[in-house]
Amino acid sequence: MMAQQHASTPVVEGLFEIVAGTPKLIGSRCQACNNIYFPQSLSCRNPECRDKSVEQTFLPHCGTLYSFTVQRYQPPPLFRMDHWSPYALGLVDLGDGLQVMGMLTRIALDEIIIGMALKLVVEPLYSDAGIGEKLTYKFASAEGAWAG
Amino acid sequence: MGGMTRSVYVLGAGAHPWGKWPDKTQLQLAHEAMNLALGDASLAWPDIQGLVAASSRFEGGMGWGLHANEVVQSVAEQGIPCINVGGACAAGAVAFQTAYALIASGQHDVVAVLGAERMPKGFIPRPPGSPDDISDSDYLRWVAMGATNPAYWAIEANRRKYDFGTSDETLARATVMMRNNASGNRLARFRAATSVEQVLASPMVADPLHLLEICPVSDGAAAIILGTEKYTRKTGHKPVEVAGCAIATGDFGDPARRIPTVSTNVLPNVSHTSEVVNAVNRACEMAGIGPEDVDVLEMADNTVWHLLSWPELFGFYEPGQGDWMLDNGKLEIGGQLSVNPSGGFLSFGEATTAQAVLQICELTWQLRGDAEGHQVPDATIGMSAVLGLGANGGSVILKT
Repeated sequence: MMAQQHASTPVVEGLFEIVAGTPKLIGSRCQACNNIYFPQSLSCRNPECRDKSVEQTFLPHCGTLYSFTVQRYQPPPLFRMDHWSPYALGLVDLGDGLQVMGMLTRIALDEIIIGMALKLVVEPLYSDAGIGEKLTYKFASAEGAWAG
Repeated sequence: MGGMTRSVYVLGAGAHPWGKWPDKTQLQLAHEAMNLALGDASLAWPDIQGLVAASSRFEGGMGWGLHANEVVQSVAEQGIPCINVGGACAAGAVAFQTAYALIASGQHDVVAVLGAERMPKGFIPRPPGSPDDISDSDYLRWVAMGATNPAYWAIEANRRKYDFGTSDETLARATVMMRNNASGNRLARFRAATSVEQVLASPMVADPLHLLEICPVSDGAAAIILGTEKYTRKTGHKPVEVAGCAIATGDFGDPARRIPTVSTNVLPNVSHTSEVVNAVNRACEMAGIGPEDVDVLEMADNTVWHLLSWPELFGFYEPGQGDWMLDNGKLEIGGQLSVNPSGGFLSFGEATTAQAVLQICELTWQLRGDAEGHQVPDATIGMSAVLGLGANGGSVILKT
């Protein structure tokens, strides 16, 4: 493969960063009540919080699968994916009361089990000659990969 | 609730059949529903002192959601207040609440509520007006993971299977029940009976939900005329009173997977689908009743999962008991709790902003004994429950 003309970039700016080789989702943490939000939020949303000021934070990159589905129909065109085929969407409990949805990867569709340990990964979603490779976050099986 | 309020009654109800009506504009559907409701109330446009319409983003309303204004200008320009309310799929309930308040407060005596909708084909497109960046959830959910609406409901359904052991057959049975109910309702779009086998043989959309377990979109229109006691005596109908009526939004920490967000903050002891639970609880409190008093429930069944879970969330019975209730016929017409005798969204298809108004029409006919072909015997208290984008919940309780 030729070296790419464009750098690989997140499908939406501000979604995640790769820190020392480890992908991290970017969220917000309330400086007063400590609730965390994803994606980055304009304000704390806790009705009992009177401060509301938030700062950027990285979310935990490991979690457990709370539930999932397999999308059998191709989503409408705003979604782009090279080599489309049915894929799983998971709802992942990252702790601290936060559950995040994302695509599941590197797991056979019939081997997905609620409660399984997952870790955050970043993978290409599609390539476009004009804008280069677009990356999204996904969750992969964390079997044997627990970082603690 | 405090304060001085007047009793409010449903004077008339009318609905255009649900379906796909390519030869009728949204405005025509609105006119037909209004004419039916006016006729049912033995009233005419000069009697109407205000119109509250659900604002649609799809068609009509001069492109600005001015659906009440457009109707009034096209049929009876008579200086009355026209109120247009948003609430997405719950807009009809917000419109009803608004009209109720206009009469209960003593400001007007006869006010009409309208929801009329023509839906676009296929997937509902993302609306204009939001930036293509991380601040818009509806952009993010599509570009980052392609999460369709059925995917959100499927995630709930799969978790229910995990929590309660709900079977695929039980899920399918909910559709079978809705079609059975619809078979006697001339307003429903899908009236053919189906079987568990046929439902499970329909294409899988998002595991575990099959095509026949998810409501499609339809065109439809419904209207209600509300008024004071004096007016209800003139209609000749058995009086149907608004016993409770509430709209609400959601609570922080609600574990529901809320379309189109991609994350949920989950706190202990916060109700699932809290916007609707809040509305139901407030409507019950206002009516001075509990779920055990309700004979008929018309609720938003976007999927079979909703039919199993919502009555549990409202306190009709314990979490997980919905499977047994459904499997044993307790939710059928004339059962312990008649759920969606109309046939529900699964048999109508969703005409978003009109749906909540249709629910209240259905309750009116049930309580009067006019629900020809799908009548719940001796129904005296009916409840509606609906959910809309933006964490909008609405519930209306009628009694006779």
